[in-house]
Amino acid sequence: MARALALVEKAYRGALEKQFFDSLYLATELHRQLGGLDILLRGRAVTYGIEAPPVPALRMGSRTLDTLSDPRRDLRALIAAGVGVWAERDALAAHGLQEAPLLDGVRTVADGETAARWPEYRMVFYL
Amino acid sequence: MARKIPHSDVLVTLMGAPHESDRTTSALRLVQALLERGNSVAVWTCGYATLLTQRSLGTEKPRNLADWNTAYPSTTGLVQDLLDTFPERLRWYGCRFCSDDRGADDHLPSVVLRPPAGYAANFAAADRTLMVGVL
Repeated sequence: MARALALVEKAYRGALEKQFFDSLYLATELHRQLGGLDILLRGRAVTYGIEAPPVPALRMGSRTLDTLSDPRRDLRALIAAGVGVWAERDALAAHGLQEAPLLDGVRTVADGETAARWPEYRMVFYL
Repeated sequence: MARKIPHSDVLVTLMGAPHESDRTTSALRLVQALLERGNSVAVWTCGYATLLTQRSLGTEKPRNLADWNTAYPSTTGLVQDLLDTFPERLRWYGCRFCSDDRGADDHLPSVVLRPPAGYAANFAAADRTLMVGVL
């Protein structure tokens, strides 16, 4: 069965508010329900595909909040589960990250290259 | 008789909606840092930021099916924690119109609802005002 393609271009939304239930969390479930998912990282979301230290804990009131989502950890889990992940090269360059180390399993792609493959997918959507 | 608004060193006016960006996270980190350094802070929420302190959210978020035993505090729980930790120096206000307009009028008891026309008094009671986001 053809896979689905999710475009992720909005990033860093509501660290405190959502904590775990973000686009990559939902992607795990869509991968399972739709019979296979690929993700194209665009815009600011390409930074999710770059190696970086773990998300630090925050002080909030009297507590230490260590339950914020970590997009790199979540991408690694998705890749391990069989999700294909691509990052657009122009967006990486726009953030000065063309030479930055990608997470294992993240591939780069030229702008528009993925769009040419849309007919191969059973559905394409923004996530 | 008009409510007397206590002085604060900084008034943080949260105009932008939660979940849209990391703006709310940044603003609350700033509030925490100001309080830890001994400042007094007032927060005024407008628009969808009034949802941050709804009692219907409970103190914890719904369970994470992928991590069943971890507790995740809701924004309501976090704001209550902030208010409990800094009871003398943090005050939290909500815009009554914005709350009513969104059916979001069941705030934490310690949140003071204010009419939009009352904002000038809060503004006047603060040495500095920071507007965060747009309505």
